[in-house]
Amino acid sequence: MINTNNKPVLLLGIGNILMGDEGVGIHAIERAESFDIPEWMDTLDGGTGGFHLLEYFEKYRHVVMIDATLDDKTTGSWRKITPRYASDFPRAMSTHDIGLKDLVSALHLSGRLPEITLYVISIESIQQQGIYLTDKVNKGMEEVLQDILATVHEPLAVV
Amino acid sequence: MGKRIVVDPITRIEGHLRIEADIENGKIKDAYSSGTMVRLIEEILKGRDPRDAWAYVGRVCGVCTSTHSLTSVRTVEDALKINIPANAELVRNIMHCTLYMHDHVVHFYHLHAMDWVDVVNALKADPKKTSELAQSLSHWPKSSPGYFSDIQARIGKFVASGQLGIFANGYWGHPAYKLPAEVNLIGLAHYLEALEWQKEIVKIHAIFGGKNPHPNYLVGGMACSIGLDDVSGINAERLAMVDRLLEEGKQFIEQVYIPDLMAIASFYKDWGGIGGGLGNYLVYGDLPTKGINDPSSFKFPGGAILNKDISKVYDVDLKKDDEIQEFIKHSWYDYSGGDEQGLHPWKGESKINYTGPKPPFEHLDVKDKYSYLKTPRWNGNAMEVGPLARVLVGYAKGIEEYRAVVDKALTDLNVPVTALFSTLGRTAARGFECALTAQWGREFFDQLISNIKNGDTRMADTSLFNPETWPKTAFGVGFAEAPRGALAHWINIEDQKIANYQLVVPTTWNASPRDTKGQMSAYESSLIDTPVADETQPLEIIRTIHSFDPCMACSVHLYDEEGTTVSRVNVVGD
Repeated sequence: MINTNNKPVLLLGIGNILMGDEGVGIHAIERAESFDIPEWMDTLDGGTGGFHLLEYFEKYRHVVMIDATLDDKTTGSWRKITPRYASDFPRAMSTHDIGLKDLVSALHLSGRLPEITLYVISIESIQQQGIYLTDKVNKGMEEVLQDILATVHEPLAVV
Repeated sequence: MGKRIVVDPITRIEGHLRIEADIENGKIKDAYSSGTMVRLIEEILKGRDPRDAWAYVGRVCGVCTSTHSLTSVRTVEDALKINIPANAELVRNIMHCTLYMHDHVVHFYHLHAMDWVDVVNALKADPKKTSELAQSLSHWPKSSPGYFSDIQARIGKFVASGQLGIFANGYWGHPAYKLPAEVNLIGLAHYLEALEWQKEIVKIHAIFGGKNPHPNYLVGGMACSIGLDDVSGINAERLAMVDRLLEEGKQFIEQVYIPDLMAIASFYKDWGGIGGGLGNYLVYGDLPTKGINDPSSFKFPGGAILNKDISKVYDVDLKKDDEIQEFIKHSWYDYSGGDEQGLHPWKGESKINYTGPKPPFEHLDVKDKYSYLKTPRWNGNAMEVGPLARVLVGYAKGIEEYRAVVDKALTDLNVPVTALFSTLGRTAARGFECALTAQWGREFFDQLISNIKNGDTRMADTSLFNPETWPKTAFGVGFAEAPRGALAHWINIEDQKIANYQLVVPTTWNASPRDTKGQMSAYESSLIDTPVADETQPLEIIRTIHSFDPCMACSVHLYDEEGTTVSRVNVVGD
């Protein structure tokens, strides 16, 4: 997908669809497409991400990301973070944290870092295989999507 | 007694790789390579429609997103005896060349360059001298003193902020860094330029594959309609964009990547004698120009070289039961027939049985099983796969394009051909073939345009797409040269469904544990005798391992909690 319509906000899911709950970001994008997404928001299945995603971070003014995290919090619970630096990302952010953190550092260095909102959903294990979510993580994902629709607003036009 | 050092994970790669190395008198005496995560794609595919396999296997990795999909459609096409139209082959080749251009440039600048370029030292460079040096190396326009002083100011601010980010894991100031400050600054400037550049070239995948990452493939051809006046398909406007991107990509590789590679290499010629390892090389072949069943037409010829003897290239048969086999003597798997046997992938088994130490632990039990990677062998031999293998096979076969690029580099650097069997040779070979794929990408594009102008717009053969046309059972093998090396998938189809699916991926060849005979694989072997100046900062280990462009995501088919720790180096033992 190439942004040719100049929408200002991107909803970006990150994860590996083959690794159970770790793929929650990708499931979220599929699910979001059945919601009433505002016309100023695009959606993107970012796969496991990394440098491939640079163009999207440079094209949108606000990137809302959804990813899994492995921490000690209750499975299916979620947090909303506004990271400024790569080091603000949670440390155990799944398999692809290195690529994504590098990307954010690089954007910072080039002065082209968009506004980033990061939703992380806690998962119990990244030892799962399969292409389905557990019920707890699925519920967390639904809550995140509801929160995004309720709290993410269209950015003011650039003058 | 020597010391054992542990590097885990090796940074700047996808997935998790752990190296344990024994050091004696400042050199590596023994080494063990372990994949610490597992991903059982084989189990996910069982019982599915073979025509959908490409979409799943494309997800095993986010780095070379399209290679597995390409290999998968070739596998199913082989099983069902489907021949694809010429245009589909050309589009696949253009996408594959694009992947090489992207992947090799990103590897060089963003994953490997910091092993040779000291970022912090670049701040000491004189921008005027840097400009003069850059202009003597290349015609690339961005080379003014102002340009370099601006880069220096940006990096200086970044470093002063304490947010090193991408540069946080470097061993800056390590004695093994040998570049003058000005060369370091050029490397750093091009690190940033390459970052901007790489986002352009991948658009070719979005144009032909409908999206990126993870473009679309199709069993029988490609899923894009093409025609100069096609409103919604690949039309003249989109083809013009591909044309421009391929040309700009080629210019960047020829005017930035290759001159930088040669300039950096000229200060590290000693690495032309370090990190060689096995001396056995394996290539399946790729970039067909007359169909995948005519290996003589491949731009990347297939073949095997043993014991560094480039006077002889052996043929490789992926279907023969006793040529390619996987062993599990030192891998956390069980075979129904026991640990000693090797299995051809069509008979492959993937039953995991983790018997390693319970984390957290200091050492793996390397006398027993110590990795989630299986150990593949060709006729019983451990083989290195990847850019060096491809360049050596092309060179050994006397192909002019390979001879020209390799001989010029050897002359310019004033090193013998034997310098290729090394860490430096591996890193240089990646550059050589990147330049070749940039040329070939243009050739394939011109041919595609010529076909379209002659009225041939066929992109898929769907005559055997309907499962009712398939035999009750079918076996297939599909192969490709992934940027990291030889990749193949094997499929057994029964009653229109996948009965077995096995992947043997490049990093499994290179990073696997020892086999039943105790023979090391490529990573382990390449580390032997490598000097390590400071065991708390094993830069030398990282240089050689990164020269293989490790990618663990697909080679091990999970993490344990240990795999999520930040990179660390432990010095253990005494």
